[in-house]
Amino acid sequence: MLELGPFLSSMIQGGRSWAVSHGVPPIGAQIAIMSMEVGITILLVSLVPMVLVYAERKVSAFMQARLGPMEVGPFGILQTLADGIKLMFKEDVIPEGADRWVHIFAPIIACGPAFVCFAPLPFGKGLTLVDLDTSILFIFAVSGLSTIGIMMGGWGSGNKFSMLGGIRAAAQLVSYEIPRVLSVVPLLMFYGTQSLKGIALAQQARIWGFFPKWFIFYFPIGPIAFIIFLICSVAETNRTPFDIAEAESELVAGFHTEFSGLKFALFFLAEYAYVFLASAMAAALFLGGGDGFGIIPTWISFLMKTFAMSFTFLWFRWTFPRMRVDQLMSFCWKFLLPLALINILLTGAWILFRS
Amino acid sequence: MIESLVFYFLAFLVIGFAVVVVTSRNIFHSALALTAALSVVAGIFALLGADFLAASQVLVYVGGIMIIMLFVVMLSQQPTDAIRSQSNPQWPFALLFAIAIAAELVQKYRTFFGAVEARPGILPTSAPIGRLLLTEMVIPFEAVSLVLLAALVGAVVFAQDRQESRLP
Repeated sequence: MLELGPFLSSMIQGGRSWAVSHGVPPIGAQIAIMSMEVGITILLVSLVPMVLVYAERKVSAFMQARLGPMEVGPFGILQTLADGIKLMFKEDVIPEGADRWVHIFAPIIACGPAFVCFAPLPFGKGLTLVDLDTSILFIFAVSGLSTIGIMMGGWGSGNKFSMLGGIRAAAQLVSYEIPRVLSVVPLLMFYGTQSLKGIALAQQARIWGFFPKWFIFYFPIGPIAFIIFLICSVAETNRTPFDIAEAESELVAGFHTEFSGLKFALFFLAEYAYVFLASAMAAALFLGGGDGFGIIPTWISFLMKTFAMSFTFLWFRWTFPRMRVDQLMSFCWKFLLPLALINILLTGAWILFRS
Repeated sequence: MIESLVFYFLAFLVIGFAVVVVTSRNIFHSALALTAALSVVAGIFALLGADFLAASQVLVYVGGIMIIMLFVVMLSQQPTDAIRSQSNPQWPFALLFAIAIAAELVQKYRTFFGAVEARPGILPTSAPIGRLLLTEMVIPFEAVSLVLLAALVGAVVFAQDRQESRLP
């Protein structure tokens, strides 16, 4: 009854047959439906960061025994909206030494791929926009494009702090991409599919009638893969304890030092969109996707898991100190990468004994 | 009809970006144009229904190789890089050579792939590719992985600290 997917699809189908019966050509109706679906997804990706920014400020405030934003609206709920409007009216500054076009395109290229990555996410029953067969590979590939935007921001600003931030971001993101992809390989081996929706659906079952068959409960391969994925996701989103690319105490603000107004907002939109994307991927891959608890609809249960994961990201940021650059690199190459490879071996052994 | 329009648009973009790669004076702009060209090639793969290949193209070339290349450009920049031309006086000969190779390739591919029918619709390709790599193509696949392993070991040998390597 409360499922959103069947309701939306029946609405869309009804609207389409109504439009076609009133003389709209079928291809036009199809294009209109597709643009509506894409519009809903883009709206979601633009709104979620606002919620997450508010959550981040409140969570950090409570962790530091403060109140956080309280003035705008009840409990400061409208603070992010006010900040967004303020950013829209700010002057767009392009520094004189900047590489003009690179500076202009950097935030767009950092932010654009984030929207595309949300297409294959399974938000619940019937709520997958595009059911791609290679959706996991697709998300990893497209989200890698944002790194180029960050490097362009670092180079195009014509500022040595930005430049250092861009170089650090590139080194860090390329390094952590490898264990991140390898941590998902056990899932692909285990379920025999690359589709995010397929993996989420395969976990919607119970052992002995009550215990959920989520991948994280397959000891030891599940928890190891989950922890590697979580650590690498935090590193990929450039957040503390891995935020050496924008380390405030060393590099002013790193790659986005010279960006103001909406360009700055776009960089932040990208960061929070990727936090949400990583949380949604963790929910779909390791926590059973929309696997509900009793009567809770699948989309609500998926969003609950996703926001719980997002809270973990915020929690990490406000409780861990920043790592040094060399520690960061040796942690990735000497610990996470071998662990991910060992985990793949263990999964192979598991599958061998299972069959 | 729409497919060929999209194809010509993408092909035009690839060639345009490729020309920018060799004509731009700023080496960072060249690297960015190369990134864009490689991404658009992934679009052409997707148009042909090769979803796995398109995603791997972006993951490997754009997400891996081009980021390393931009990294090297950022580390090795010099003030003169922005004004110095990227080509030398021999470019007309190089152009002739490139045109000859392109003509040869077009001619050969026409006879070689002329009989291949384009498959209509998009079907999942990753499972057949995986099956092929572990059955018929297993020897070339393993040979390529051996070459990559040798390259990795070589990179480690070159990158290691000389002082440290003298220690017992």
